Amino acid sequence: MADRDPLSDAYWLPGLEARDHDGFEEVTLGEWVARVPRLRPEGVRRIAGELIRAGEERLERRPVADILDAVAAAARSITASDSDLRVSLERSLPLATGYAPAMVRLGLDRMAQDWRADVLRQALVAEFGDPEVLDRPRPRRDALGKVRAFGPRLVAHIFAGNVPGVSVTSLVRALLVKAASFGKTASGEPLAAVAFARALSVVDEGLGRCLAVTYWPGGSESLESALFESAEAVIAYGSDASVDAVRARVPPRTLLIAYPHRVGVALVEGAALRADLRELALKAARDVAVFDQQGCVAPHCVYVEAEPGLAETFADALATALARVEEEWPRGRVSAAEAAAIHELRAQMEFRGARVWASPEGTGWTVILDPEPTFTPSPLNRVVFVKPVRDLRDALAALEPVRWHLQSVGLAAGGERYEALAESLGRLGASRVVPLGSMAWPEPQGHADGRFQFLDLVRFVDIPGVGGP
Amino acid sequence: MNTSRSPLGQTLLEIFRQGPAGPLDDDRFNALALQAFRHQFERNEPYRRFCERRGIVPERVERWEDVPAVPTAAFKEAALVCGPGDAAQAVFRTSGTTQGSERRGTHYVLDLALYRESALSAFRAHLLPDGARLPFLILAPSPERAPDSSLSRMFEWVRAECGAPGSGWFVSFLAGLHVDELVQALGRSESERVPALIAGTAFAFVYLFDALAARSLRFRLPEGSRVMETGGLKGRVREITKAELYEGFAQVLGIPDHFCVGEYGMTEMCSQFYEDVLRARAPGLETGPGGPRRMCPPRWVRTLVVDPDTLRPLPQQRPGLLRHFDLANLNSVSALQTDDLGLGVAAGFQVLGRARGAEARGCSIALDEWLTATR
Repeated sequence: MADRDPLSDAYWLPGLEARDHDGFEEVTLGEWVARVPRLRPEGVRRIAGELIRAGEERLERRPVADILDAVAAAARSITASDSDLRVSLERSLPLATGYAPAMVRLGLDRMAQDWRADVLRQALVAEFGDPEVLDRPRPRRDALGKVRAFGPRLVAHIFAGNVPGVSVTSLVRALLVKAASFGKTASGEPLAAVAFARALSVVDEGLGRCLAVTYWPGGSESLESALFESAEAVIAYGSDASVDAVRARVPPRTLLIAYPHRVGVALVEGAALRADLRELALKAARDVAVFDQQGCVAPHCVYVEAEPGLAETFADALATALARVEEEWPRGRVSAAEAAAIHELRAQMEFRGARVWASPEGTGWTVILDPEPTFTPSPLNRVVFVKPVRDLRDALAALEPVRWHLQSVGLAAGGERYEALAESLGRLGASRVVPLGSMAWPEPQGHADGRFQFLDLVRFVDIPGVGGP
Repeated sequence: MNTSRSPLGQTLLEIFRQGPAGPLDDDRFNALALQAFRHQFERNEPYRRFCERRGIVPERVERWEDVPAVPTAAFKEAALVCGPGDAAQAVFRTSGTTQGSERRGTHYVLDLALYRESALSAFRAHLLPDGARLPFLILAPSPERAPDSSLSRMFEWVRAECGAPGSGWFVSFLAGLHVDELVQALGRSESERVPALIAGTAFAFVYLFDALAARSLRFRLPEGSRVMETGGLKGRVREITKAELYEGFAQVLGIPDHFCVGEYGMTEMCSQFYEDVLRARAPGLETGPGGPRRMCPPRWVRTLVVDPDTLRPLPQQRPGLLRHFDLANLNSVSALQTDDLGLGVAAGFQVLGRARGAEARGCSIALDEWLTATR
């Protein structure tokens, strides 16, 4: 294999034995050629058993603060600019994911901040109050005895391929509730989780034994069923269809946490628009551009509270901004299907009478000024609709049909109106309302899709009638 | 119906009547194409605006490759016709079955003669290069039952012009495939040793194979029988590969591979492409065993394979999107950008499938999935 990059093995399976698999195969993941074992279902079962045993020995009796420090150190060593694994990720991720190198570097830099020890501690405290409840029984605040939290013995993760690093966050959450993890990567992003597991084992060999990560084609029933039988919790990321396919195979006793289809939108009030049009256009452009809209936090439509003329000025500014952002963070590789979808939509909207701004060559970015307020999903890869509305309340009405899928909203509005709109958007179904320009990076201490990051994973044991701290 | 045909239209009719092969050198094609572009630019309002937004006017275009190509999806949104749509002699619509409630593409045809001559000429050359006169068993609804369907209209033209007694239509919307009648017709062909031409969409054939399998029926149609097969394999019945389909022709109908001709066409386009497998074997035209199947354009059509992202022409053997320039589309738009994936090969191209069906790579949702999920 070429130059033996550490990530030319796209798996981390400590203690893998010959009987677990039928040899190795080379798989082309995006444009990254890597080696993975052809696991047998009984191999998955055996490895899952080993992971549970490792968790009992290495995680259960270890203070959570200790684990947290090791996790942060491992995260540092895949994101720190001078580390070998970061260098390797910077080389391999653009090939595997298709994202531009600049986008991958930006992503790694942001992840470095999200996985810092102090941030992880804040996130744990935000949900548990007293994270030591994961170590031993702790007094309840109401003095009605004690309480203790236990994570699952083994978490199975089915990762999606859209945004690099989400897989690592998922592993980190499991580790912090002292669960061992078996992660199944997606062909679109098979490497970050492997790099993290490798790094963790360097920091702490024992903790590294609590993780397994590998790739197989999604929906491989016998392998996934073997995995789900062994796990106490399953976390699945992906399309509605792939999450549903997982749901159908997870035993009823097993906890399933699903992250299916989500969409983002942006809302800009008239006063803000008139005060700050160009700045807001640039912020919206960045929210659209990060990870080429593949993240479920990215906006598909920008609703602007404006008469048609002003909306057109904004759309024009957004196009200019997208062209500028393109220089800094070039749009990544797209498939023929993705490109064809963009060309087709441009033509359809143009002939329908909408104004379309398009990158001079190729499908790098597209802005469509669409007078029709109904939410329109974008074909992604930096295609955004600008929809003028007389009042942002009309935008809320237009979002009603997509409330099940609504996730992040980027909002540009002043003081009191901001909160009132956030309240209405929350009631509608949004799980995140943030200032326009910060849609792309979910707050690491915040909730995940409106649910708890850690609490949803754990089981509490109430021990009433036991006193004292 | 009193369309006055332009001198250009008249010239094209004569070229079509001379058949799809033979010389129409690049310079001559280019000259005709630029005339067609000017004709369309002057008369097709939405197309002119499309060109003007791109800063392209006929005076500044020297090569047909530079004529702005309209994505076929635009036919869903605008009347792309050189004049008023109500002057059309026929209006054809895409089936609109793959994406539910989506709008249907509409092709207004002002001068049916251009369509008819182009279609007849290419069909004859590729399906009847031996001059055979056969009963046509058509696995499609008749034009009376499907007035919107350009395929039905084309079948009617070739049936009336080239078919022998015993021809018939074997699909209707209510009954679907008329299996009993078709079984009789196939049986007659087999027992009376009268070769037949069976024409239809790929999915109609899949349906036929399933129906015959359910009755444990197989035919050995007499030598000279042939198949014309069209349309994508992403059907409503079940999906099969092209190889499986052709295996079916041999196993179920007894028609050998090189008597089965694939056609590729679309509602938005008056000309069709055919595989030259049968033509290459016809007496006097033999070119030997030939290479892999390829679609051959008639000489009044040129096809480019373009990069799906930049839409720039690609060299041979690089897969991309197919873009056609069809002179027979004189009265609508000649330069058509499809979302069909293809591969340029010597003297033709191979169709690899449709490029659509883009999926998001994770938990976001892309337009195509949305359409599927909400249809």
